[in-house]
Amino acid sequence: MKDDVGGNVGRARFQALCQALRPDLLRFAFWLSRDRALAEDVVQETMLRAWKARDSLKSESAAKPWFLTIIRREYARSFERKRLATVDVDELIAREEPMLAAAHDQDLAELRAALFKLPEEYREPLVLQVLMGYSTAEIAAELGLSTGAVLTRLFRARNQLRALCGEDTSMDPAP
Amino acid sequence: MIDCAEYRRTVLADPHAASPELVEHLAQCPDCPAYRERLLRFEGRLAGALCIDARAPRARAPGSGWLAMAATVLVALVVGTLWLGAPHASLAADVVAHMAGEPEAWARTEVPVPSAELAPVLAEAHMRLNPEAGMVSYAQSCLFRGHHVPHLVVQTARGPITVMVLVHDSVAEARPFDEGGYRGVIIPVPGHGSLAVLAQGERENLVEIESLAARVKDAIVWTG
Repeated sequence: MKDDVGGNVGRARFQALCQALRPDLLRFAFWLSRDRALAEDVVQETMLRAWKARDSLKSESAAKPWFLTIIRREYARSFERKRLATVDVDELIAREEPMLAAAHDQDLAELRAALFKLPEEYREPLVLQVLMGYSTAEIAAELGLSTGAVLTRLFRARNQLRALCGEDTSMDPAP
Repeated sequence: MIDCAEYRRTVLADPHAASPELVEHLAQCPDCPAYRERLLRFEGRLAGALCIDARAPRARAPGSGWLAMAATVLVALVVGTLWLGAPHASLAADVVAHMAGEPEAWARTEVPVPSAELAPVLAEAHMRLNPEAGMVSYAQSCLFRGHHVPHLVVQTARGPITVMVLVHDSVAEARPFDEGGYRGVIIPVPGHGSLAVLAQGERENLVEIESLAARVKDAIVWTG
């Protein structure tokens, strides 16, 4: 965002970028936090930090991973700031029911509830892969893991998720 | 050659993995093709499940309001009219909103648009469409984000799908979406913007729609 970043053109481009990316950023923050209100707070704070640090964004094509990295940091900060207590997953699911509901598709709502039950260490790489289209190497770089560790987490994520959803996992290899 | 356990371990980590070893195993194994098919069906549902409605009304937790309010004020002060003050219209949202204006286009029919009507719509985007795309039952040149773009409906075995040729809107990567009762994907078309392909209904399979999008994309002949 080197062109006129402080002027009207730069601001308009940054605004357009935020508008285009916001749905995906909010989805990512939601699946990270499992809390719509917190996700919106994190995305808002992310936009603010991104605006302040816009000079470090080399190109608009790199914007999405750049924003996602800021979101992950901001979520970690909010976690420290609020000292979030361990909460019951069923309570979380009940609280976020409007977000998890899928009109005319109970299976989809159940799958979303099952995603809530996945441990964060499995849920996050799965969201990066399926929703954000990250490759294994990109996930490894973002999470600071080896590619082998990412593949293991993705395998366990689907294995657990399929079991939670009542899928036939009898042909799955042992974890 | 890898065995079934290794094959399944690999595709459970990445269902779209297609190394030569995986392809070779798949071609020779009597059981793994069915396993992969079930996994890809699940993957389509998973992609749909993750695509929550980002514009759904917010259910705020008690006590968290002050934080968002403070953040909102701060962002508004610093960034001015940045995204808070503007409509949060993504490309997908605009495509979905456009659908509402032409509900008649979704009719299931066996009557194709005459070539004499289809050709000028496609020509505006400097393109032709090979028959492999499927039968086009609706073709209009529509005003979308300030430009006239082809809005087509293609009849497929699973029903009608809408195709919008967005030569003025680029995306870096395929973007599945699930909004307003429509499911679809916007795929990049290098040098020619993007292609939005969508179907009506929450039960639509995103993997199948992505496959249809690829088919339509391959059937386009760019003339300019």
